[in-house]
Amino acid sequence: MSVLITISLLAILVLYLGLFKAKKALLPVSILGLLGALSLSFYEWGSYAQPIYNGMMLFDNFAAAFSGITILSTLLIFLLSKDYFERISSNIAEYYTVILFSLAGIIVMVSYHNLTMLFIGIEIMSVSLYILAGIKKRDFASNEAALKYFLMGAFSTGFLLFGIALLYGASGSFDLLEIRNYILSAPQEVSPLFYGGILLLIVGLCFKVGAAPFHFWAPDVYEGSPSLITAYMSTVVKTAGFAAFLRLFLFCFSPLSEFWSPVLVTLAALSLLIGNITAVYQQHFKRMLAYSSISHVGYMLFAVISLNGSSDTSIFVYAAAYSIASIMAFAALILLQRQVGTDSFDSFNGLARKNPFLALTLTVAMLSLAGIPLTAGFIGKFMMFTSALSTYHTYLVLFAVLNAAIGIFYYFRVIVAMYFKEADRHELIVSPYYRLVLGLSAAATILLGVYPELISRLI
Amino acid sequence: METQTSAINYLPIVFQMLVALGFVVLTMVLTHIIGPKRKSKEKLSPFESGIEVVGNARQPFSIKYFLVAILFVLFDIEVIFMYPWAVNFREMSLEGFDGLIEMLVFMGTLLLGFIYIIKKKALDWE
Amino acid sequence: MNLFYFVAFLSIFFSLLVIFSKNPVYSVLFLIVTFFTFSVHYILLNAQFLAIVNFIVYMGAIMVLFLFVLMLLNLNKDTEPMKSSLLKIAGVVSGLCLLLTLVGAVKSLNVSEPLILKDPGIGLVKNLGKVLFNEFLLPFEVSSILLFSAMVGSVLLAKKDPKKI
Repeated sequence: MSVLITISLLAILVLYLGLFKAKKALLPVSILGLLGALSLSFYEWGSYAQPIYNGMMLFDNFAAAFSGITILSTLLIFLLSKDYFERISSNIAEYYTVILFSLAGIIVMVSYHNLTMLFIGIEIMSVSLYILAGIKKRDFASNEAALKYFLMGAFSTGFLLFGIALLYGASGSFDLLEIRNYILSAPQEVSPLFYGGILLLIVGLCFKVGAAPFHFWAPDVYEGSPSLITAYMSTVVKTAGFAAFLRLFLFCFSPLSEFWSPVLVTLAALSLLIGNITAVYQQHFKRMLAYSSISHVGYMLFAVISLNGSSDTSIFVYAAAYSIASIMAFAALILLQRQVGTDSFDSFNGLARKNPFLALTLTVAMLSLAGIPLTAGFIGKFMMFTSALSTYHTYLVLFAVLNAAIGIFYYFRVIVAMYFKEADRHELIVSPYYRLVLGLSAAATILLGVYPELISRLI
Repeated sequence: METQTSAINYLPIVFQMLVALGFVVLTMVLTHIIGPKRKSKEKLSPFESGIEVVGNARQPFSIKYFLVAILFVLFDIEVIFMYPWAVNFREMSLEGFDGLIEMLVFMGTLLLGFIYIIKKKALDWE
Repeated sequence: MNLFYFVAFLSIFFSLLVIFSKNPVYSVLFLIVTFFTFSVHYILLNAQFLAIVNFIVYMGAIMVLFLFVLMLLNLNKDTEPMKSSLLKIAGVVSGLCLLLTLVGAVKSLNVSEPLILKDPGIGLVKNLGKVLFNEFLLPFEVSSILLFSAMVGSVLLAKKDPKKI
């Protein structure tokens, strides 16, 4: 709870700092506040928490771990935002504020214990994101992204609400514990409305995380939004969406897994296929990242499909690895877009000679995203596959391994372009903040790849 | 369902609405029937302060109106929450200041938003 | 019960008119009528507060916003592109799938005993307030953040920047 309050107050503080023309203080204050929130979420660790406020929220280890990783990713993104928002307009404080508000919504999403809180959390996050997608007011692509995201998001929220309403109609409560008790009391006599509710909830949540076939908004929105916002959307927001997904299914719906697991298996396989196949054909780095994020959704769905004691850990590790690697990739993307003006694969040619550090860290990111051993991404994929195998989804895992091979192909295109293709180019200027983020993330990726126990025992 | 509904209590409101609606319809129909009809080109053209008609009415208008309208809706929602609070205020105040503080937190947050709007001159009409 | 069926028929009828009327302004006006029938439903269900909120916020404020949005658009030209028939078919198929799921779920329900509410006045403003300020206090407070972020966002997006970019 203190994390949520800290972040909300921080958002308001930053907004007022902007009003009173303290432009220099915005970034330091936001970063300090986030560090405070991060330490608070560590502080809440291991305190076997009870649901608070009449069972509205539950800050257990799960919530603390996911709050931690989302706050950490936001922190890295804020470090990248140095000199970024100034180029869009002078309303920098508002941008930070809205990002912080959406982070507050995300904290609600990862720690809810009542479906009303889930809804409010998702709404706070989404409303802020609709705004963030459209902050480049004069840019047509950004406008399109905001409008598309808003329409699709509002539509999916309708599904979500309908699902929640049906669950309430069947079980008579919004509280996760009581819904669980309702299922456990008579697993054979669960009302048919309840099943309809689960299906609609799956649709709504899959829209939010961007799983195929509910992914149609994702590429356009990711491409049209400002790159930094895309980085935020594809890392923090996705992590939060999966945390909410898993919390609901792990806690409430696990006794009914025979009903919904075929649906999710189909969705996961579709996401893998569509994400990977379309990513191969992309010529631009940003769009490739957008499609590959759909395929990562497919991998992450594995943890929900094979619900067991370790699925929260595996999704946590995967989300952490994916977020850190994606932030590195987006950092490189922002540098390229700003200094070269394009993000096609050709623009990476010969990068290794001029910017060895940038090329090295980007290579680490790509290896991690592709799931090569000794990186964090490998550990994430490995945990996903083992958990899926433990529930005998052998064909799904085989299919996923095939898709991972396709993934290696398009991630390696970047590496090949950087190291083996020659081109005349100028050296990219990498500011100290970017160096810090890139260095830290690369180190973390490799560290987690070698010692996964560092975070795999957290939950 | 029907046995428990208190919808019957709303019958006076229904009558009120019927009367209001009936009055409007009646006067409109009556004026059409009683009034004289002279159909000429000048009579049928829309009246724009006596000037020649310019363009048509479907002109996109400034987003400033929209900003005011959407801010109005937000504060409208805020005020809606105050009705159930006000109705329960007496009972809550017997138990201490909790009810007051609960509303103050909510209102305080939105008041900060209101100050922001004023400071940002979002409601100024340039 | 008959009153319920009559009002339900009206809601469906007017919501169909919303979809099928060619002029968007008419659509919005029919939407207002649809919302009005919803208000009647709420009153039939004893949900007094919801009926009032629906009346004030939805029919009053939000519908005005709808009309405003229509006026922000340029309605003179027939700019709406026709959707390809493939998209239409996909829409129909997925809509029917949803309908099938819901109908299937409802059909397999048992007809339950008429529900007797313990407290018939559960939807009155007073009782709703008691629930809102006790059990649902946290969602209520957190929703202020939602309203705040919407405020900041609308000012951010709709306010003209003082200097030219």
